[in-house]
Amino acid sequence: MADILSLVFRTFTSPAGLKKQLPVRPPPPAAGSSLLLGDPDLSRSMLLLAAVTAASELGMRVVFFTQTQIQSLPVSLQRCFSYPRTLEELLLQVASLHESTNTCPTPPSLIIVDRLEGFLCGAGGSNHSGSHPAQLSCAAHLSALLCDTAAFLTQVLEQRGSNSGPCRFIVSFLSEVDTGQGSKDPSGTDPLLDVLDRYFQVRCTLDRDRGYGAAAAGVQEAWHVYLSGRGITQASFTKGCEEKLAVAQEWQLFIYPDGLMELKNNYTKIIWLSLTEQWFLTFFPPEHKAESTCSLPLDQGCQTHFSSGSTFT
Amino acid sequence: MRSVLPAVAEQLFRDIQKTYQETSQIPNDLLIALTPKDLQYSIMLRFVFGPCALQALDLVDQHSVTCLSSPSGRKAFQVVGGSGTLYTCFLSCHYCPCPAFAYTVLRRNEGLLCKHILAVYLCQAMAVTQQESVSDQQMSILLSRTSAP
Repeated sequence: MADILSLVFRTFTSPAGLKKQLPVRPPPPAAGSSLLLGDPDLSRSMLLLAAVTAASELGMRVVFFTQTQIQSLPVSLQRCFSYPRTLEELLLQVASLHESTNTCPTPPSLIIVDRLEGFLCGAGGSNHSGSHPAQLSCAAHLSALLCDTAAFLTQVLEQRGSNSGPCRFIVSFLSEVDTGQGSKDPSGTDPLLDVLDRYFQVRCTLDRDRGYGAAAAGVQEAWHVYLSGRGITQASFTKGCEEKLAVAQEWQLFIYPDGLMELKNNYTKIIWLSLTEQWFLTFFPPEHKAESTCSLPLDQGCQTHFSSGSTFT
Repeated sequence: MRSVLPAVAEQLFRDIQKTYQETSQIPNDLLIALTPKDLQYSIMLRFVFGPCALQALDLVDQHSVTCLSSPSGRKAFQVVGGSGTLYTCFLSCHYCPCPAFAYTVLRRNEGLLCKHILAVYLCQAMAVTQQESVSDQQMSILLSRTSAP
């Protein structure tokens, strides 16, 4: 997740936006697994953005698992989405990714699971909270299966000389702590989250900003998006100074009453409409707020991307 | 807590593997008694992994660990538990569907791994893992199920 968003910034920032254009290259293996925490609707938008970016800019084959049907998808995108109804179906579909029907002609290099909490609800025959051992085991099983599947597909990609590796996976999850339905544990931790942290190297947290400043700016919602975890720590220790700046760890996300969303950090802004069927990507260098734009209307830009050979299925 | 071994455990398994590679060169009739090295490793395993170390060694003695392979190249380990239940474990990270892993490792965070996963590591280090082939579809079912039916 972190590397894909960073790639969006680097690829689409105008020369005036950055003093030096950094090379686009595959992310380090340490950033292969990401857990996206927070509001489920916003998380879904982020996952869809990651999927579109990975497919169109990196030429990656993406597999997207979700319980909820996504409407208004271009025909070229529909085949990459799968709608398992239960955890058992999801486990079997992920476990089947090694089969030749799924690795030919190209193995997946990005696996996305939307709203893990929906799949875990009632899993293990239990309706208890996330502290029940059966539910913890189910969460660990799926996470470990994703890890092992990604490791296997990475090997396949390497054997075939593909530039799309390593295989990554991103999962969105709404913690009981965020919903206020968790246990009365004074530490406020979610046992499910502790289990998931074993298998995910990067945590991307969506944290709502309920301060007065956002309302004063005419923004409907304001969010902090920040990255943490051992995958980010390792990247910080190994990268040079300039590359550290590209692996930014925090962004601000603004949602306006008309549905427009604005994402920015110190280097650039990305604006897109994700709450409707139309997707626009508009990039503003920080010092040129309105003059120079690059927009990709869905009916033209995205179709062009997908018909040019970059694979989504 | 991560889903892979800490460095001290990894080094221990490397030492065991090296010793057993050297030991395999010695004819069986010379391996009469338990060597000081065997005792040392037993003590170290118990120190690092706790009570499940001895249980894992029992599973090793019983040849309970099998490496399953399918035509796609996918692999997994299958361990026969003490009660005869089959547990499927992964190559690249720690997970076992047994109750001990769910409770002691995940819920209580009181252990690094269960006896089944430890038995896998020991069998690999000692080169005593059984081998078996399954179809791609069988592999998918095994990976997705929590335990054998």
